[in-house]
Amino acid sequence: MNLDFSIILKYLPYLLQAAGLTIELAVLGIAFGILIGLVAALLKISHTPLRFVAHFYIWLIRGTPLLVQLFLIYFGLPQLGITLSAFASSVLGLGINSGAYLAEVFRGGIEAIPVGQTEASSSLGMGKFLTMRRIIFPQALRIALPSLGNQFIISLKDSSLCSVITMSELLQTSQRFASVTFAPMEFYTAAAVLYLLMTTVLSAVLSSFEWRLSKENRTRGC
Amino acid sequence: MELAYKPEKSMINVNGLIKDFGKTRVINGIDATVSAGEVVVLIGASGSGKSTFLRCLNGLETLTAGEILIDSVPLENKSSSLKQIRRQVGMVFQQFNLFPHLTVLENIIEAPIHVLKQEKVNAIQVAEELLSKVGLYDKRDNYPATLSGGQGQRVAIARALAMHPKIMLFDEPTSALDPELVGEVLTVMKQLAEDGMTMVVVTHEMAFAREVADRVIFIDEGRIVEEGLPVQIFGNPQEKRTKAFLSRLNH
Repeated sequence: MNLDFSIILKYLPYLLQAAGLTIELAVLGIAFGILIGLVAALLKISHTPLRFVAHFYIWLIRGTPLLVQLFLIYFGLPQLGITLSAFASSVLGLGINSGAYLAEVFRGGIEAIPVGQTEASSSLGMGKFLTMRRIIFPQALRIALPSLGNQFIISLKDSSLCSVITMSELLQTSQRFASVTFAPMEFYTAAAVLYLLMTTVLSAVLSSFEWRLSKENRTRGC
Repeated sequence: MELAYKPEKSMINVNGLIKDFGKTRVINGIDATVSAGEVVVLIGASGSGKSTFLRCLNGLETLTAGEILIDSVPLENKSSSLKQIRRQVGMVFQQFNLFPHLTVLENIIEAPIHVLKQEKVNAIQVAEELLSKVGLYDKRDNYPATLSGGQGQRVAIARALAMHPKIMLFDEPTSALDPELVGEVLTVMKQLAEDGMTMVVVTHEMAFAREVADRVIFIDEGRIVEEGLPVQIFGNPQEKRTKAFLSRLNH
């Protein structure tokens, strides 16, 4: 065996910088995904014809690989006169992709809230939008949180696919160093450890968020 | 005809109400009037349509035919009309339907702040007075999950009252409660009746109906079969179906 992990130290600043880009892609992609996912979920449970648009979007995106979607956005769209930077393509791809899954997570959470909650708020004169914002969504979020967390972690790791559309994120950077130093084991291990670190922190943040949101079930005041 | 009876202001007018669920006719032509300050108790077997009738009164069910006037304003199936009517008609449910993610106080001030646009301090003041009235001031910062059924239902009543409704509807408010908790809810309702609130109550608590109701309406198969003073309905029912229903209750 000729493993030498000390080589990592020399390149660590670059790896960390690349990990920073990974975080940036994941955060923006997920934020975009939450936005699309919310809209798609609300459309899907609405009784308007727009629900078919949501159905189609979810069907299309969940049924095709993220890598193909990224290729279509980055390499395909320029043929139609739409040229996006690698960064914009990545965020767009991650957002559209995670949005389809998040839509179903949000829909599940919203539909899990008993109809009595809506009846109670309607009876108090609250309109549809106010009921959704103040009564249904906060409860749905608590139910959906574990699945949301799951999708966030998946999206964080999926950002590695952006390496193939020229993004110098963590995986691509590791790949480059691995080939120039002939030390693939060391660099891919380093990449794996950094991904693990990021997903661990993300999980911890999500857990603490879940804990805070569940306070009404813990405060036994009597 | 009681000519000596002074005509009172009517709060609820129901004319020719019909309600279908799919092909099933649940309400089959109901006409009714409820005067201001009157306490009307609806009785009937489960599936008789009494809860559906109640839910029509604040637009939770859309009408198939007929009309409902709340304080002379017709209830229309569009959101602006429904919102307007519902501010004036409080509703208390069998399952309380408190908002579990909000504290007792937050449950009560939610609609006054966001619907009536009251200042938060004013809303809190009203909520605290209502909580004192239903005997739950010390539970103001509790979450609903920590309350007993009787406490939960009293909070639900306070929540509805915070909107200063002209009418209160009660849909089997004690049916989900343990027997020993029924009394505390009925006491609050009795107090409300004494304060002059217009109330329509669906209940199986015949003792409450006897004591508090100004009028009892017996509903069967989506129609009003018989109505009258509690002493008439319970003491001397005229219709066969009323007699059969009441005798089943006594067994």
